[in-house]
Amino acid sequence: MDQILNVLVFGILLGGIYGLVSIGLNLIFGVVRIVNFAQGELVMFGMYGSYYAYTYLGLNPYLAALLVAPLVGLIGMAIQRLVIQPLHNEPNMQIFATFGLLMMFQNIMLAISRGEAVSIGGDAGAAVLALGDMKISVVRLVTFIATTLITVGLHLFLSRTMAGKSIRAVTQDKRSARVMGINVERTFLYTFGLGAGLAGLAGVLLTPIYSITPTVGGNFILAAFAVVVLGGLGSVWGAYIGGLIVGIVEAFAGYYIDPSLKSAIWFVIFLIVLILRPSGLFGQVGAEEVGFREQH
Amino acid sequence: MNNIETSTLDKEMPLAPPQVRSNAESELEHYGAIHRDCGIDGRKQTLLKYLGGIAIAFLPFILMVNDPYWLNIIAFTYLMGGLAAAWNIIGGFAGQFSLGHGVFFGIGAYVTARFYTLFDVSPWLSMIPAALFAALIAVLISWPTFRLRGPFFAIATMAFNEVAFVIANHFDSLTNGPSGILIPFKPGFANMIFVERWQYGLLMFVFAALVIGITVLLRRSRLGYYLLAVREDEDAARAAGINVLSVKLRGMALSAGLTSIGGTLFAMYLRYIDPPTLFTMTDVGVKFALITLIGGIGTIAGPLLGAALIIPFENFLRAELASALPGINLAILGFLMVLAALFMKRGLVGALTDLWRKLELMWMARK
Repeated sequence: MDQILNVLVFGILLGGIYGLVSIGLNLIFGVVRIVNFAQGELVMFGMYGSYYAYTYLGLNPYLAALLVAPLVGLIGMAIQRLVIQPLHNEPNMQIFATFGLLMMFQNIMLAISRGEAVSIGGDAGAAVLALGDMKISVVRLVTFIATTLITVGLHLFLSRTMAGKSIRAVTQDKRSARVMGINVERTFLYTFGLGAGLAGLAGVLLTPIYSITPTVGGNFILAAFAVVVLGGLGSVWGAYIGGLIVGIVEAFAGYYIDPSLKSAIWFVIFLIVLILRPSGLFGQVGAEEVGFREQH
Repeated sequence: MNNIETSTLDKEMPLAPPQVRSNAESELEHYGAIHRDCGIDGRKQTLLKYLGGIAIAFLPFILMVNDPYWLNIIAFTYLMGGLAAAWNIIGGFAGQFSLGHGVFFGIGAYVTARFYTLFDVSPWLSMIPAALFAALIAVLISWPTFRLRGPFFAIATMAFNEVAFVIANHFDSLTNGPSGILIPFKPGFANMIFVERWQYGLLMFVFAALVIGITVLLRRSRLGYYLLAVREDEDAARAAGINVLSVKLRGMALSAGLTSIGGTLFAMYLRYIDPPTLFTMTDVGVKFALITLIGGIGTIAGPLLGAALIIPFENFLRAELASALPGINLAILGFLMVLAALFMKRGLVGALTDLWRKLELMWMARK
């Protein structure tokens, strides 16, 4: 019984991680209406970027974000420009194309890294904050705080700035947005870049927590989709809350049922949500059905 | 995808010369919406066409019958061609991009392997209930999922694949968990275990021919037309009085059952199965779709053509490059996938059809 609090805290911190990797995906999924299966690989790029910056440049793993996140953002913009935009309004081909990118990125990294798992190990990753009976991993706490800050920042960006407003306008009605003088294609380009950059940032923040392999992105992609669908397409807070829910469910299921079944359990929850309320907790009802059709 | 209404208008345009077919029309024909070979003679002609196709598909098998290296590749090509054709039923004809076919593939493999290793039941016998079971599971899990469209459907089916992976790893009393099931080598027709490679090749060829035969029949059946209607416009199909859900479920059940049979053959060929072999997305679920896309999605010959291109190519890449740079073969395959999505949406079949049309037109212009 006294373990409940520990499990809860662990779940919340885990939820922070899931929320973090989902924010960028949610922006891409919710705004550009693209299912980017390669999003987990962008997180993986962020992790390797941070690792290489640490080993070869001696940069602080967190400081590397200033370099890595924009770089991954540029990769994202290239993806949008070269692969996604030509497949505009062809969701099935987008699935193929982004899955192809997933295979490409994963295996290019495998060829470069020769498949050896690396990590920025040592004391930083193992540091623990003790609060009475509770033990809180410092790096996870940092990640959780960062997730919260990013969510708040993104919320402010989308609601207060002109660029953010034009992003929301494009989400709501592409055609009217165009009439109002918004360059829709450019908005997509920057939004995709921002979403990719956030994935890169997530990767950097997760570097001290996970050991880094070319396939590490696979751990996040389905989780991220689950979070986005759970929270609601395009809703910033939806991704945050959805992340927390998935994290807490996973922590409790892992502790009280069976660790090896935990991901199956939240897949089931994800499927139930998908079936009962496909628009998610905070999403617009019907987005899952009309969102990918051509908007007139 | 073309809108039927506008293309009918195209066809009736008096200005177009009668021999020159509009793009829209040839595309419609490619998707099978127009049948040129109606009537008894037409049917005979079509039958000859398919027999010819099967003969050509059989040819490499005869040529390589003494070469175990090539026979292995050919056997896999037929198997994957058959599996891609099975995926094509729901993915190509009905336009529902399932990424969860690993589930049905795994069911076929596990049910057969378990019945064989525990109770000595012949795979020939167990593959039928396995296929029925896979079809049942397919209906149960797609019933709710078919509410979702496009990418949402793909993600949900992808999740099924992951759940199957977790379950196969966890319930080791059923599946032997991560250590997998090894099927002892006891050759014999009843055991579906053969000494000679060509026997497997023949088995896989029969499987591919069977699945393609079924798709040919389906394509000309009521259900086949319903599936196409659902793909082209679900709402219009519903308005026309088609029970969309039932059509999709029947397509899925057929596709899943055939995929399960492919899983059985796979298990008896490799004689070893474990969760990663059966449920790795890039090796199974997505590959069926990739092969179909490369060959020509929604066409009869596409899946087999795609397999004939991809499987030997993949083997070549693995043999030539993978030892020097691990993973580079899959990276190239991924790149190919992106290119195919961008530039070859109608696959090899589409490209060949276009080429044939051009030659035809050139020949007619000369006359």
